[in-house]
Amino acid sequence: MSLLRVDSVDKSYGDEPVLHDVSFGMDRQQVEVIVGPSGSGKSTLLRCVNRLTEIDSGEIYLDDEEIHGVDENELRRRVGMVFQDFNLFAHLTARGNITLGLREVLGLSKAEADAKADDYLDRVGLADQADSYPAELSGGQQQRVGIARALAMDPELILFDEPTSALDPELIGEVLTVMKDLAEEGMTMLCVTHEMGFARSAADTITFLDDGEIVERGPPEQLFENPEHERTGTFLGELTGLHQ
Amino acid sequence: MSADTVDAAVGTIRGRKKVVAGVVGGALWLWLLARWAAHNTLLDSVFTAIGLPDLIRSEVRVGAREPWIPAEPFAAVAEALGGVAAAVGPAGVLVEWLAWPFELAAFATSTGPALAAGAFITVYLTVISMAFGLVIAVPLAVTRVYGGPISSSLSLAYTELIRGTPLLAQLFFFYFGLPLAGLVSGIGLMELPGAPRSAAVVAIIAFTVNSSAYQAEYIRAALQSVDEGQLTAARAVGLSKREGIRHVVLPQGLRFAIPGWTNEFVYLIKYSSLAAFITVPDMFRRARDIGSDTFQYTEIYVVVGLCYLGLVLTTAIAMQRLEDRVALPGVGTSTGRE
Ligand SMILES: Nc1ncnc2c1ncn2[C@@H]1O[C@H](COP(=O)(O)OP(=O)(O)O)[C@@H](O)[C@H]1O
Ligand SMILES: [Mg+2]
Repeated sequence: MSLLRVDSVDKSYGDEPVLHDVSFGMDRQQVEVIVGPSGSGKSTLLRCVNRLTEIDSGEIYLDDEEIHGVDENELRRRVGMVFQDFNLFAHLTARGNITLGLREVLGLSKAEADAKADDYLDRVGLADQADSYPAELSGGQQQRVGIARALAMDPELILFDEPTSALDPELIGEVLTVMKDLAEEGMTMLCVTHEMGFARSAADTITFLDDGEIVERGPPEQLFENPEHERTGTFLGELTGLHQ
Repeated sequence: MSADTVDAAVGTIRGRKKVVAGVVGGALWLWLLARWAAHNTLLDSVFTAIGLPDLIRSEVRVGAREPWIPAEPFAAVAEALGGVAAAVGPAGVLVEWLAWPFELAAFATSTGPALAAGAFITVYLTVISMAFGLVIAVPLAVTRVYGGPISSSLSLAYTELIRGTPLLAQLFFFYFGLPLAGLVSGIGLMELPGAPRSAAVVAIIAFTVNSSAYQAEYIRAALQSVDEGQLTAARAVGLSKREGIRHVVLPQGLRFAIPGWTNEFVYLIKYSSLAAFITVPDMFRRARDIGSDTFQYTEIYVVVGLCYLGLVLTTAIAMQRLEDRVALPGVGTSTGRE
C-alpha cells in the first residue's frame, strides 16, 4: 500500500501547462529522486503534494486519503518541506526555527519544544549552534537547520526541493550526509536534486520529468545504465558529467 | 569619525556629538518632565490625598507660573552689551548682534513655563495618536498585502483618501463637520481630573486617523520587503496564513518599518501644531498667544522653533536606539538592506 499516490495530475499557470498527466506512487521508507531540466515542473510537483499550489485535475493520496479532503495545515504538518534557498525564519535562532512549528502547530510547551529542537539540532550536527541566527550560519548549516525543522514535526514524508543547489560546492557534502543518514533511518523522501552521487546511492527510484511529463521512471541502475529513452540517457549523462 | 558627513538620517549621529546631543536632550526632557509634574492635576490630587496639598500646584494658571531659570542675568548681559554698542558708534551694530542671543535667552526663560505647558499637550497628542494609529495601521497594512481583492482595495481606498487630503481639512471635518466635540464632552469620563479638553480629544481622533494611513503605508512597504519564502516556509510547517503573518512576517516587517515610523513620528510632532487652529492650547498655540501679547514675533517663533527641534531630535535619537536595540543579526539593521 503506497504512502503517496499521485494520479493523473494536471496543472497549468494561466495558459501555460506545467504538469501533464503525472502519475506515480511511493511506499513508506522509500527515497524517490526527481530529475529534469529547469522549468520542467519539478518544484510545482512538490508544491502540489503539500498544497502550496493547487492542482487543476487528478488526485493525490497520502496514506490512501485524498489530500484535498484533509485540512491543509494538517496535511503540511504530515508532509515536511526543505527549500532550495533554506527559507529559515530570519528573526529566529536555529532553535526558534524548529520550536515555532512545535509550539504553534503541535502545541508543545516551551520546555518540551526546546528539548525536542535541541535533539534534532544534535542529529544534524548543530547542537552548538542552537542560539545562532540564520545570518550567522553558513549555507550548509542553514540547510541542516532547515532539515531539522522539517524533521522535528514528525512528518510521514519530506519533500526536498533542490536542497543543495544554492550551496557552495564545499558545503554540499554536509547536507548530503544528513540526507543519506535520513534515508538509511527509513525516512520517506521525495527529492528534487541533481546530485547524481546521492541519487545513485540513496534513491530507490529515479523519475525523469521533462516538460511537465514523466518521461521515464525506474531504479537508478536502469536509468543510468539502460535508459529506455534517449532523452533520459542524454540528460543523466550531462548531469553526471557536470558533477564529476 | 568621518562617517558623520555621510549620515543622512536625523538621529544617526555618533561619537562625541552623540554625547552632547544626549546631554542636551536629556536636560530638555528633565526640565519638561519636572515642569509637567510641578503643575500636574493628577499628581496634585494624589499628593493632596496623602496630605501634601502644596507640593504640586495644578491650580496655578499657565500665565502665572514662575520660571525656574531667572531671566535677569541674561537681560543684564544684553543690556550691558547694548551700552557698549551705543558707546562704540557705527561699529556697535556688531555688538548689538552679540547682545541678541542674550535677549533671546532672557525671553525664552520667561516664556518657558507657558511653552512647557504647551509642549505637554504637543507630546501627548503625538504619542497617543501614534500609538492608536499603529493599532489601526497594522491590520490595514496586513489587509492591503495579504487580504482578498475587496478588503485590500478598501484598505487602499482608506489610505489614499487620508493621504490625499490635507490634514487641516481632516481636522476641521472632525471638529466643525462632525459634532464630535459635543459628543466627547457628553462622555462622563471627561469630568475626571487630568482629562483632556474635548477639542484635544477631537485632535487625537483626527491625528490618529491621519497617522494610521501614513503608518500603514510604511508598514505595507516593510511587509513587502519580507522575503516571500518566509511565509511559504511558515505555511509548509503547518502554520495557517494568519499564524504565519503573526509569527514570521510581522516580527520582521515591523523591524523594517522603524525608520519609516520615525519619519511619521517626527512629522506628527510638527503637524500636531495644527491642533492650535481648533483651540487646543498646544505648544504652537501658546507661542502664537505669547506673540500677539508681546509683539515679539521673531523671538517667540525662534524659541518655539528651537523647542520643536529639541523634541524632534530627541525623538529621532530615541527611535534610532530602539531600532538598534531590536535589531537581530540579518534583520532590521538599517544598513545592509535593500
Ligand atoms: N507561481 C507561478 N506562476 C506562474 N508560473 C509559474 C509559477 N511557478 C512556476 N511557474 C512556471 O512553471 C514552470 C515550471 O516551474 P517549476 O515547477 O519551478 O520548474 P522546475 O522546478 O522544474 O525548475 C516554469 O515555466 C515556471 O515559469
Ligand atoms: Mg525548481
